[in-house]
Amino acid sequence: MDEEPERAKRWEGGYERTWEVLKEDESGSLRATVEDILFQAKRKRVFESHGQVRLGMMRHLYVVIDSSRTMEDQDLKPNRLTSTLKLMEYFVEEYFDQNPISQIGIITTKNKRAEKLTDLAGNPKKHIAAMKKAVNSMCVGEPSLYNALNIAMQTLKHMPGHTSREILVIFSSLTTCDPANIYDLIKTLKALKIRVSVIGLSAEVRVCTVLTRETGGNYNVILDESHFKELLMYHVKPPPASSSSECSLIRMGNLRLTPSSDSFFKKQHLESSDGGPGLTLGGYYCPQCRAKYTELPVECKVCGLTLVSAPHLARSFHHLFPLDAFQEHPLEEHKGDRCAYTIKVFTCPACSSVFCTDCDLFIHDTLHCCPSCIHRQGTS
Amino acid sequence: MEFYTKETGEKNNFLALALSSRKNLCIHPEVSSLRFGKEVDGKCHSLTASYIRAQRHSNPNQPVCRFYEEFDAVGRQVPIPSGIYNLDDLKAFGRKKGWCPYYLARYSILHANIVVYSYHYLLDPKIADLVSKELAKKSVVVFDEAHNIDNVCIDSMSVNITRRTLDRCQTNSLLNETDAAKLREEYRRLVEGLKEANVARETDIYLSNPVLPDEILQEAVPGSIRTAEHFVGFLKRFLEYLKARLRIHHVVQESSPQFLKDIYEKVCIDRKPLRFCAERLRSLLRTLEIADIADFSAVTLISNFATLVSTYSKGFTIIIEPFEDKTPTIVNPVLHFSCMDPSIAIKPVFERFQSVIITSGTLSPLDIYPRILDFRPVTMASFTMTLARTCLCPLIVGRGNDQVAMSSKFETREDFAVIRNYGNLLLEMSAIVPDGIVAFFTSYVYMENIVASWYEQGILENIQRNKLIFIETQDAAETSMALEKYQEACENGRGAILLSVARGKVSEGIDFVHHFGRAVIMFGVPYVYTQSRILKARLEYLRDQFQIRENDFLTFDAMRHAAQCVGRAIRGKTDYGLMIFADKRYARADKRGKLPRWIQEHITDGSLNLTIDETVQLSKHFLRQMAQPFRREDQLGLSLLTLEQLQSEEMLQKISQIAQQV
Repeated sequence: MDEEPERAKRWEGGYERTWEVLKEDESGSLRATVEDILFQAKRKRVFESHGQVRLGMMRHLYVVIDSSRTMEDQDLKPNRLTSTLKLMEYFVEEYFDQNPISQIGIITTKNKRAEKLTDLAGNPKKHIAAMKKAVNSMCVGEPSLYNALNIAMQTLKHMPGHTSREILVIFSSLTTCDPANIYDLIKTLKALKIRVSVIGLSAEVRVCTVLTRETGGNYNVILDESHFKELLMYHVKPPPASSSSECSLIRMGNLRLTPSSDSFFKKQHLESSDGGPGLTLGGYYCPQCRAKYTELPVECKVCGLTLVSAPHLARSFHHLFPLDAFQEHPLEEHKGDRCAYTIKVFTCPACSSVFCTDCDLFIHDTLHCCPSCIHRQGTS
Repeated sequence: MEFYTKETGEKNNFLALALSSRKNLCIHPEVSSLRFGKEVDGKCHSLTASYIRAQRHSNPNQPVCRFYEEFDAVGRQVPIPSGIYNLDDLKAFGRKKGWCPYYLARYSILHANIVVYSYHYLLDPKIADLVSKELAKKSVVVFDEAHNIDNVCIDSMSVNITRRTLDRCQTNSLLNETDAAKLREEYRRLVEGLKEANVARETDIYLSNPVLPDEILQEAVPGSIRTAEHFVGFLKRFLEYLKARLRIHHVVQESSPQFLKDIYEKVCIDRKPLRFCAERLRSLLRTLEIADIADFSAVTLISNFATLVSTYSKGFTIIIEPFEDKTPTIVNPVLHFSCMDPSIAIKPVFERFQSVIITSGTLSPLDIYPRILDFRPVTMASFTMTLARTCLCPLIVGRGNDQVAMSSKFETREDFAVIRNYGNLLLEMSAIVPDGIVAFFTSYVYMENIVASWYEQGILENIQRNKLIFIETQDAAETSMALEKYQEACENGRGAILLSVARGKVSEGIDFVHHFGRAVIMFGVPYVYTQSRILKARLEYLRDQFQIRENDFLTFDAMRHAAQCVGRAIRGKTDYGLMIFADKRYARADKRGKLPRWIQEHITDGSLNLTIDETVQLSKHFLRQMAQPFRREDQLGLSLLTLEQLQSEEMLQKISQIAQQV
């Protein structure tokens, strides 16, 4: 209905009780609670990592973004759609950083239909560009969970068995408009071993609960924006591979940047016309067919070989040997040891060197190895 | 059951079963296809009555129920294997063995450890002595969901007679053609029969029949109705008298002594023969070998009325109304013989059984029940819910966004602004609550008005963009259809709203587990229709006899129904739901104080008299909070106990603290 006024003004929005999360301590100070909240948030992810599990290294992930009427709700700032797409950009970057040899694709659903925004591909730039464009699109009608899952399934079912097949749905609406019985589709998804996870933006919907439970995914509902981000980041880490998935050896071309003078012909230009980097000197040559590429990772257009570089492999590799969680100790035992201000300190179980909360996070999330241990290996 | 056997390492002979009417238990292909309970009873009776079966010996073509035959031949010797049977289990067992499940259940009651059946089997004097009279004195009687027990007691003792009832009596074959020989034969049997009844009654353990107290049975059937011809004539006279009484144009209200005096003056019917009416009719029907007792329901009703009116002089009232309330122009006279005092029906139960437990989730306030049921409780306790998280969220919405107070109060209920605000509330909630919402109105009439008005204002259309709408109607078949579709819509993610009525079928028996009821909205306070004469008479009686003020009782009654409605949403520890009371009167202390404790303790000052916007914000927050993963470990120690915890001293103390002794 066009007559309905846009709820754009700040004061027309609902009441928000941002102060409710905070609690004063006896002296009336808020510092303790704020610190506690921050600390809890930081620690949570480390706790959830679980020792030695086989993880899927090559992932195929479709992200379904709901773009129905409810995405215009302003409980995330400035509205749900903008906020979601912004977080998704970050997610895509992070995803390729952690899973360099994986692929991602984006599907949107609105007005009872679903359409593919981007195909499964390993290039973060293309996805991010597509999402930047989508920010201005209209949010209308109802989503169709069935259609979205169906599109994703059509592609995913052809993916080889040693890779993971995943769908992540970001679901804002509380209803879905389906052309057929969704429970049949859920059965098919389960049979195809496609893992569906859902992040709900408003509340728990029954059909998503069943969907995720049946296909072995996670179902979470966001509390606020930071929680949303946290939940998205949870999906950056590859899921444990099911024991039934096949193992196989994959041929890969491991390349080095080769400077060359023949800058006149680039395969890269053939596939991306959207004004990528112009003529460059450096490039990667496919070891089989000598086709040239400017960016990695990529699947060779000529011979179909997966082309990666050594750092890509190394980054995927760390999922196989995750660093153990550090032990937590109260600050008192290690007063003035190192690092800055923190509530608790952490010690590496192997070399028992001490780190603060921020260092601990940095080591687990970015370095994936204990610097102290490496240092010792080097000296001995 | 298997778990217990494994844990304790021994086999226990534990038998629990459910008993219901023939309609629910019959497995005879023809009989069970009938739609109405009365038809099923009648048909079953015509296949299994003893004289029918006796006839079969001489005439093999006489149809009988093979399931009953089979049961009678073998079933009585072999006890039903121990276990727990619900109605479907019983039917399955019956089919397997070829035994009639109904009679099997009736027979197995005698040696079952736990029997589950309807209140009527114990309270209704007409059925109680058939089913429950052989229960041991030491059995423990538990009335579960007993918040309405007083109404059940009253219903079981009340009789409504319309002109149609009388017409059906008139056309009944019994009163028209009388087979003289048969009647004479019947008289001879009667003399023997009454002797038997005497013997049976002397063994005191039987449940005394409140329709016919013991002292009456000691007396013989009075001469005036002893022979069958006289009795039939007597009934005819009584019927004529009732018809004359119904031919009036103004409302009459009188007590039973007044009625008896009047009947004596007009048609010379004494009090004493009236008392024996019910018993006499029963013996007559038995000996006349009438197969289909369903035809005689009208006559039975009249005779029950006769017995009741002459037996009790206190606690009953007779109201004759020439018109119905809804249609004040069409003459449709009704004679209400209504019981004012629920303690009459429940008294035999208290007297006969050693321990009686009355329990319900919405038995509040507790102290009113002993007063209206007239007993002295040994112990009374109310428990809160122990929850690992606050899974219920009662909100009292008093105003719309335009600050107009919302209330279903009689003066404002037709107000345009109130109806619009109610509509907006439902619209806003439909946008933020997932899956199912159940909305309750105070009456069918009010619901129709509001929905019509919403339709005109276009609110209904907007709601339908969020969820499908289903409506409960007075037709049971239609309602169950709507319910089925409602559940389907909730199940596959479309979302639905069910509009229904407090005190209706949906509010009493149907659970909305998990996603079937994420929010319950109570539009208005469900007061009973206060203009009804029966209610007025009852209120007067309560005031005179028990010193309960009218207003107290009305509020109590309204709040127990409101609590019953909103309680539909929470059916387990892992369940969660919003409870929205949309009427500003709920915020008052006298209303709020009458809600059960487990709801009351979650109502904070912050959730009183909210506007729609504030409600939406609070609900959104609540729904997100509740959607966070809820693991089994979180409940441990709070709402889920391990064996060690259960046995620990500390926990026992905690439990005894929770039980608030009254």
